[in-house]
Amino acid sequence: MEIMRLVVTGPVGAGKSTFIRSVSEIEVVDTDRRATDETLMLKKRTTVAFDFGRLQFGPEMALHLYGTPGQSRFDFMWDILIRKAHAYILLVAAHRPHEFRSARRILGFMKQRSQIPMIIGLTHTDCPGAWDAENIAIALGYLDANRCPPIITVNPNQSASVAEAVIALVQHSMQGCLV
Amino acid sequence: MAITGYLAEFSLAEMFQFLEQGCKTGLLNICALTGSGVEGQKNHYIWFNQGRIVAAASSLNQQGLVTMIGQRGWLGDRAASRLSQTCTIGTPMGLCLKAQGALTAEQLKLLFYSQVMRQVCALFELGDGWFQFDPKVPLPAAEMTGLSAPATEVTLAGLRALKDWSALADKLPDSTSALISIIDGKPQLRLNQVEWQVWEFTSGSVSLSAIANQLRLPVEKIQQVAFRLVVSALAEEIPLIAEPISLTPETEPAELSVAPTEASAVSQSFLQNLVGFLRGKV
Repeated sequence: MEIMRLVVTGPVGAGKSTFIRSVSEIEVVDTDRRATDETLMLKKRTTVAFDFGRLQFGPEMALHLYGTPGQSRFDFMWDILIRKAHAYILLVAAHRPHEFRSARRILGFMKQRSQIPMIIGLTHTDCPGAWDAENIAIALGYLDANRCPPIITVNPNQSASVAEAVIALVQHSMQGCLV
Repeated sequence: MAITGYLAEFSLAEMFQFLEQGCKTGLLNICALTGSGVEGQKNHYIWFNQGRIVAAASSLNQQGLVTMIGQRGWLGDRAASRLSQTCTIGTPMGLCLKAQGALTAEQLKLLFYSQVMRQVCALFELGDGWFQFDPKVPLPAAEMTGLSAPATEVTLAGLRALKDWSALADKLPDSTSALISIIDGKPQLRLNQVEWQVWEFTSGSVSLSAIANQLRLPVEKIQQVAFRLVVSALAEEIPLIAEPISLTPETEPAELSVAPTEASAVSQSFLQNLVGFLRGKV
């Protein structure tokens, strides 16, 4: 069986669990628990271990999707996920600038451990106060447009939109782009 | 497109870092919210040119600089206005008056210090405020001395003077995180002693709490210094692993249950098949 592992990461409330549920053919392994500390301000439940989704598209071919834990604690689980992944997508809620620093921390963590292809998926871009892609890239530390990974808009609630995001990530991987 | 928000969500230090790193030009308007900690003016205006702060004022009447010059007795309001009428359009008033011999270079520096460094640094005390950055507003020649400062330089000065860090508590780097330098060589900004000490640890491997232990300083103090280095675009926070690899969660799929190793490559035909399959779902 040939398997590709994609990691879906991002700050709390960016839409990671929803993203995986929208594309997975199996019931997502749900590790959501009642949120504690500051996460409770954003959502009642958050992912404490990780979400797991699967998409089999051939007798010997499958895509596995792993969502990182929601709360801002980088433990061994993150390390395992990123080291076993082929590519990852960083989801960022465009209307929550207070989460940009958290997204930047995640990027720092990921980049230090792995140079696998990645793209940025902007969610909630239609919400009031949403920042545009160019400014979010700057806020995440990408100052040179030529060295910025692809940035796409994605609606985690829509299967088609999530499929497009995964296509973008896979195509980026096919180009062998290391960002 | 204008950017709006609240300082409680996106702090002034982060905003300045964003504007400098994005080489932004325009007007940042900050409206202090009631009970936000700073007495006096409610509205504050800061103009940026290519990421550098070029002027600041508490109103948009274009009279701030003339008033400051008058208050110091260097030039009367009428004389300043008359001289400024001969300035080329778009030339900063300060430079124009200096060219006409009405002000010295030293006086311009003092004006800039009062107008920008003192006024803007005080804004870091704001607990909360609404902000809007409009990139379409033209630069106000009548409020400009002709001098400018990098936004991060003002941030460093403002945060060094900050007494109450409670509004920034959730912005500070975690005590379990490390710092890694994101510049080549040593910082060009003038750092103070403790900033230099923390800078020596920007290798990406020493946690802030360990730095605090080594320097025998409270970890909160090190977190504040680390935040200053981060928003000054000198270093980046790197989270370190919180726990050793010893636990195996019950829900862990078999593929991940082994010790972390690099992922094996997938074939081009696999990727093409996957894209084809997903296209059918779009």
